[in-house]
Amino acid sequence: MIRSLFEWVDVLPTSIAWRESLNGYPLLLTAHVVSMGLVAGIIIFWDMRLAGIALKWVPVSKAKAGLFPWMTVGAVINVVTGVVMVFSQPMRYYPNFWFWLKMGMLAVVVVNAAYFHLSIENTVEEWENDPVAPFKARMAGYVSLAFWAGIIVTGRMTAYSGLVPQWWIDLGLG
Amino acid sequence: MLLPFFEWMGGLRLSAFFLESIWPTPIIQNIHLMAVAVFAGSVLVVDIRMLGRGLRETPLAQLARSVEPWLIGSFVVLVISGIPQMTSTALKQYYSPFFWWKMQAVLIGVIWTVTVRRRIAMRPEAELGPVLPKVVAVVSIALWTSVTIGARLIGLMG
Repeated sequence: MIRSLFEWVDVLPTSIAWRESLNGYPLLLTAHVVSMGLVAGIIIFWDMRLAGIALKWVPVSKAKAGLFPWMTVGAVINVVTGVVMVFSQPMRYYPNFWFWLKMGMLAVVVVNAAYFHLSIENTVEEWENDPVAPFKARMAGYVSLAFWAGIIVTGRMTAYSGLVPQWWIDLGLG
Repeated sequence: MLLPFFEWMGGLRLSAFFLESIWPTPIIQNIHLMAVAVFAGSVLVVDIRMLGRGLRETPLAQLARSVEPWLIGSFVVLVISGIPQMTSTALKQYYSPFFWWKMQAVLIGVIWTVTVRRRIAMRPEAELGPVLPKVVAVVSIALWTSVTIGARLIGLMG
């Protein structure tokens, strides 16, 4: 099903136009890396606040209010450029081990963030001035830091589509 | 003038090691890119604050001081992880206009950060007025963004 979706996109005129554009890919990839600096850079400091590693003297609600709008700007550019890159070369990404691993890691950070904001954060007023947050909040920070590192690494590794486990090659997706 | 130096770098045993084995290059690229994220965050948290936004309820000098270890630490990692990437592709770098663009921007960025930006960030905010810190922050963001763009284009455009 996923394969047919990717194959369908592959022959769309807009996809072909992006793929054949000389400057499209360099432009997208460069914007993707620059906006990564914004979204990942800011998230790292938010996560480090939660984990009790940095900015421990900043109240958690103040850190959130100050950092989240910027993180969102970076995330929007990141997602748009990422989606257009996949849209422009779907059959390059479909068989790519690192691409799917990255998507899996993105799903983990989304679930982790949702769990934090919907559950752990409910009691934030009780501990937001503590330099070291409660265990669950610290864990949410550490999980996010680890998986964001993974997202950066798997994103870079997408260029190494041959450096993958043998069982993945045996799937014969390419 | 620098060509012999780049030829020498290309001939180093370090360069051969990175060219002849599979994993060292992607590993060092990934370390470099993770350090980019930490460095970008360290720069932006303070620059956005200097724009009068972001963590605006925190004192600028205290924020700049507490972020500084991450700024310096990630920069050290960037330089160390950058060296083998430069030496192992020395001639490609030498002939790439983007490499020189990047390195000039790094040089100006470092000088700007340790002189003007640091001095402004550490001074009592009341003395600064509304415009000066914003100008300093915009220059800082522009310089480090152009470093990132230049870096990415070395690989894409040669």
